[in-house]
Amino acid sequence: MSAIEHNPARSGLKLSPGERAWMRGLSASARGAVTVAILCPLVAGALLVAQAWLLSSVLDRAVVGHAARETLLAPILCIAGLVAARAVLSRIGEGAGSRAAEKIKATIREALFSRVMNEKPEWTRQRASGALASAMVEQVEAVDGFFAHYMPAIIAAVLLPLAFAILVLPVAPIVGLIFLFTAPLIPVFMALVGWGAETASRQQMQAFARLSGFFADRLRGLLTLKLYGRADAEVALVHATSEEIRKRTLAVLRIAFLSSAVLEFFAALGVAGVALYVGLTYLGYLHVFGLSLTLRTGLFCLLMAPEVYMPLRQLAAHYHDRAAANAAVAELAAAFDGLPELATTSAIPTAETLPAKRALPLRATLRVTKSGEDAAILDGAVLALEAGEHVAIVGESGIGKSTLLEALAGMRTFTGEVTTGEHDGDAKTPLRPMVFVGQRPHLFHGTIADNIRLGHPAAGDAEVREAARLACVGEFAERLPLGLDTPVGERGFGLSGGEAQRVGLARLFLTDPGLILLDEPTAHLDEETEARVLRGIESFAEGRTLLVVTHSPAVAALMDRVLRIADGRLSPAPSATIIPHDRPYSGLHDRVVAREKAA
Amino acid sequence: MSSLFYFRGFFARRAGGLLLALFLSVVTLLAGVALLGTSGWFITATALTPAGMAFNLFGPSSLVRGFSFVRILARYGERLTGHNATLALLSDLRVWTFSRMIPLAGSRLRRLRGGDVVSRVTGDVEALDTVFLYAIAPIATVLLAGGLVVATTWIVLPAAALILAGTATAAALVVPALVIAASRKPGGNLVAAASDMRTAILDSIEGQADLLAFSGIAAAKARFGSTTARMGRAKAGQVRISATGTAIVQALAGLCLLGQLWVGLGALEAATISGPVLAGILLGSLAVFEATGPIMRGAGRLGAASAAARRLKDLAGSEPDIRDRAAPVPLQETGAITFDRVTFGYDPKRPVLRDFSLRIMPGERVAIVGPSGAGKSTILNLLLRLDDVQAGAVRFGGCDIRDAAQADLHARIAWLSQETPVFLGTIRDNLRIGGARADETAMRHALEEARLGDFIASLPRGLDTWIGEAGMTLSAGQARRLCLARALLRPAPVLVLDEPTSGLDSDTEEAFLSDLAGVARGRTMILVTHARLKPGMVQRVIAPFAGETGAT
Repeated sequence: MSAIEHNPARSGLKLSPGERAWMRGLSASARGAVTVAILCPLVAGALLVAQAWLLSSVLDRAVVGHAARETLLAPILCIAGLVAARAVLSRIGEGAGSRAAEKIKATIREALFSRVMNEKPEWTRQRASGALASAMVEQVEAVDGFFAHYMPAIIAAVLLPLAFAILVLPVAPIVGLIFLFTAPLIPVFMALVGWGAETASRQQMQAFARLSGFFADRLRGLLTLKLYGRADAEVALVHATSEEIRKRTLAVLRIAFLSSAVLEFFAALGVAGVALYVGLTYLGYLHVFGLSLTLRTGLFCLLMAPEVYMPLRQLAAHYHDRAAANAAVAELAAAFDGLPELATTSAIPTAETLPAKRALPLRATLRVTKSGEDAAILDGAVLALEAGEHVAIVGESGIGKSTLLEALAGMRTFTGEVTTGEHDGDAKTPLRPMVFVGQRPHLFHGTIADNIRLGHPAAGDAEVREAARLACVGEFAERLPLGLDTPVGERGFGLSGGEAQRVGLARLFLTDPGLILLDEPTAHLDEETEARVLRGIESFAEGRTLLVVTHSPAVAALMDRVLRIADGRLSPAPSATIIPHDRPYSGLHDRVVAREKAA
Repeated sequence: MSSLFYFRGFFARRAGGLLLALFLSVVTLLAGVALLGTSGWFITATALTPAGMAFNLFGPSSLVRGFSFVRILARYGERLTGHNATLALLSDLRVWTFSRMIPLAGSRLRRLRGGDVVSRVTGDVEALDTVFLYAIAPIATVLLAGGLVVATTWIVLPAAALILAGTATAAALVVPALVIAASRKPGGNLVAAASDMRTAILDSIEGQADLLAFSGIAAAKARFGSTTARMGRAKAGQVRISATGTAIVQALAGLCLLGQLWVGLGALEAATISGPVLAGILLGSLAVFEATGPIMRGAGRLGAASAAARRLKDLAGSEPDIRDRAAPVPLQETGAITFDRVTFGYDPKRPVLRDFSLRIMPGERVAIVGPSGAGKSTILNLLLRLDDVQAGAVRFGGCDIRDAAQADLHARIAWLSQETPVFLGTIRDNLRIGGARADETAMRHALEEARLGDFIASLPRGLDTWIGEAGMTLSAGQARRLCLARALLRPAPVLVLDEPTSGLDSDTEEAFLSDLAGVARGRTMILVTHARLKPGMVQRVIAPFAGETGAT
C-alpha cells in the first residue's frame, strides 16, 4: 500500500549543536523553577535514606532487643515527619517543573508567532497554515514533559544511585560495593534504556503520526468519498493500514521492550543479591573481611536496594519525553526554517495614528522575482502616479498585476525603489500611510463588525455601520440573523468570496490613507453590486491616490489612466480601452451616474 | 464514565489480549511483593538464628531467585501484549468511527472541513484507545494484586491487612476519582484555551496580509501573548490538582507503613506474630505501593478518555437524518432532473427555497447563478440528498429521489465543489477514487481533459507522484484540476459543479471555467457559480432568485 510506504517523518532524532544550545537557552529562561524541580527529588532522596535507617532501627530494637512499642514512639513519629516532608517535596517539585515548562512553552510560542508575523506573506503563503498552527500548539506542547519531568528525572538517575551506594558503604561495605559496582553499569543501563525507549518511541510516534494523518485526511474528505461511493473501500483501507502499522510497530517493540526487562533484571538481582548476602552472613556462611552485620544494617540495605534502581525506573517512564521533545524541536526547525530567536521582550503595541487625509504621489521602479527563483515577474516596471490620480492596471492573467501591488504594499521582497514623497519604502516596511485591500481578504474569528474594525480598532458603531453601507456589506448583512454582529467563524465560514471582499473593502473606509491599493475589488460581484460598490470606492477615493488592479472594463473605464503590464513592464494601455473623461483626477461619481443613466 | 461503558463492546472484542496484559501485570506486581516480602522475612529470620544452627536455606533462596525471574518475564510479556491489544483496538475504533460517520457526512457533519472536528475525532479515538493500558489496567492491577496481598496478610495479622486494604483502595480508587472530578473544570479550560490558541494562530497567519495592510501585527502579537498566558494558567490549574494527588498517594504509602508498623509492634509484643513475619508484611506492603505511580500518571487520561467517549458517542453514535427506504426503487441510468415546487430551509421558519421548480433535460448544460447565500448550493445539496425537502419533491428520471437508494443516486452524479479535497496518496490513488476500475489510459485521458496531462507527464514519477502532506504540493488551480479529472473518471451521466472555482484567483478561475464546456460532452452539467460566464459555456442560465433568464 503506497499510503504507508511513503515515510516523510524525520528518521534521526539527534539534535544538532545549534538545536541543543537552543534547548539550553530555554531552560535558562526559567532557571529558578528548573532548579527547584531538580532539587526536590534529590532532597527527597536524602530524606528517604533517613527514613529507611529509622525504620530498620525500630525493627531491630523491637525484634532483636524486644523493646516495648511505647519506647519506640519517638523514632516512629520521626518517620511520620519524613513521610510528610517527602510528600510535600514531591508536590513542590512537580509544581515547579510544570511552572518551568509553562514558562518555556510560552516563550517558544511567542517567539514562533513573532517569527511568522515578521515574515512577509509570501513566506507564509508557501506553508500550510494548519501545519504551522498545529506545530505551535501541539509540537510545542510536546516539549512539556522534557522540562517538567525528564530533566529532574535524569539528574536524579545520575546522582541518587551513586549517593545511596556511598551512604551504604560505611554501614555495610560489601552491599555498598555491590551498589557501587553496579553504579558504573548505570550509564550502560541508561544507554540500554535509552536505546530501547528511544527506538520504541520514535517508531511509535512515526507510525501513529502517519496513521493519524491518513485517518484525518480521509475524514476530511468524507463527503467526497461518500458521494463517490468509495466510503466502504476506504473503511477497508483504514483497517488494512492500521493492521499493517500494528504489525510493524510490534516487531520493533519486541526488541525495544527488552530494555525494560534488563532494568527489571538488575532491580530484582539487587534485592535478591542483598537478601542472600545478608542472610548468609547472619548464618555465618559468609565471612568477608570478618565483617558482621546487625539486623538494622541488614534491613537498611534491603530497604535501600529497590530504591537504588527506582530513579532509573522513573527515568525510563519519562524517557519518551526526551524523544518527543527532540522530535518536536526538529519538526519546529523544519516547519519554521530554523528555530526562532528567543526574544525576551515583547513590545507593547502603540496605536498607530494615521495622518490626516492627504493625497500622496507614488514613484516606483521594481524588479520582483518568483519566490525562491531567479525568473523575474516584473523587471524594470516603472510607475509614476501624481497625488490624487486614479489609475487602473490591466493585463493578461498571471502577468504580475497582483505581484506589483503586493510589492508596493511591502508584502513581497523586491529590488528597486518605492517612494511616496512621504516615506521611502524599502524591502522591509510597508509604506505608510497606505492601505492595501487584497483579492481575498481574510475574515477573522469574530463578528462582521469586528472584522470591519480592523481598519480602525477604536471606530464607533456608527462609523462601522457607515463603512459597511459604503461597501454594500449592509445588503447581505441584513439577511443574517444578527446583522453586522453575526459571527463569521473559522476561515470566514458562511460568507462567499464576494461578501468577504466587501467586508475587506469596508475596512478601507475606516482608514484615512493618502494612497489606496486595491486588487480586483469587484471580482466576485454581479454587475449591479459592482456599480454600487464602485460608488462607495469613488466617494472615498476622492482626493486620494488610487491604484487598482482589475479585469473589469467597468472599473478600468472609471479611472484617469489605464496601464497595462506586459513582459514585466508597465505601459499605457491602448486608448481604445479608455473612456475619455472631462475632469482630471476626480468626478468618478458623475461618471458612474452617467453610465448608469446611459444603461 | 457511563460514556466509556458505551464502548465496552470494543474492549470486549479485544478482551483476550487486554486481560492477558492485565494478568501479567498482576503477576509482575505480585512477584515484586513476594520478592521483597520473602527477602525481609529471610533476613530477619536468619538474623535471629544463632550462628552455626541449622537453617533451611534452599527454600527461601530458590523462592527469591524464582520471584525475580517471574517478575522479569511477566513485565516483558505484559508490555508486549498490552501494546499489541491497544494497537488492535485503535484499528477497530478508527474503522467504527469512520463507518459511523459516513452517513452523517453532508447533513449533520456539514462543517467537517473546518479541521477542528477532524482533529478532535482523531484525538478522541486515540484517547479512548490508550485508556485501558494507561489508566484502567494500573488501577485494576493494584486492586487485584493488592487484594491477594490483603488476603494473605489477613491470615497472620488482620489489622495490618485492613490498613493495607484501606490505604491501597484510597490510593487506587478514591484519590484518582477525586483528581478526575477536580480536573474536569481545569481540563475543560485547557481544551478551550488550546482551541482558542489554534484559532488565533490560524486567523493571524491566514490574515497576515490584512494585518500588515492595516498595521495590526503588533496588536495581534499582544493578543497572542494573552492567549498563551491563558493556556499557561489553565495548565497550571490542572497540574496543581494532579501533583497534589500524587503527593497524597505518596503520603498514603507512608501511612500504610506507619499503621502496619504500629499494629505490628503491638502484635510482636503480644507474641501474636514473629519478627520475621512482621518484616515480611511491612516490606511486601511497601512493594504494593510501587504500582501506584502509573495510576496517578494515568488518572488524567481517564478523565480525558471519558470526555472523548462522550463526544464520540454523541457524534458517531447519532442517527443520520437521511436514510434509505426499506425497499428502495431502482433508478434509471439517466433522466431529467426536476424540482417540483420544493420548499426548504435549514431553519424551517426561514425557507431558502419556496415553491421552487426547475427542470433540467439530460445532456443539458446549465448554470445556476445569483447572489451569494441565496441558496444556490442548497439546490445541489437537495439534488444529492444531503438534505431532504420540506415540501415538494426532487426527481431523477421521474423517480422521487427519496424512494431510491442514496448510493444509486450518488452513482449517477459526479460532484465537484470547492470543498473537494486532494487526498493524501499518489495521483493514481486520487484518480482511483473517481473510477475504481479506471486503467492507465482512462486516467491519462481524464488528466488530459482536465488540462493536467502535460504537467503530470513532466513529473519524474508521473501518476505515482506522492501528493499531499510532505509530498509534492499542487497549486490551488492544479489541485482543482486534479479533482476535475477525478470527477470525469466517474461513469456518471450528471456532472455537478458547486462553485468549482471559489478560492482560485480570477486568472485561474477563467481558465478553469473555459475548459468546462468541452469536458461535459453529452453529460448533463449543472454549474453553480458567481464567476462571470462567457458565451457558449452553458446553454441556459438559471437565476432562481431573480426569475429565469434565457439562453446566452
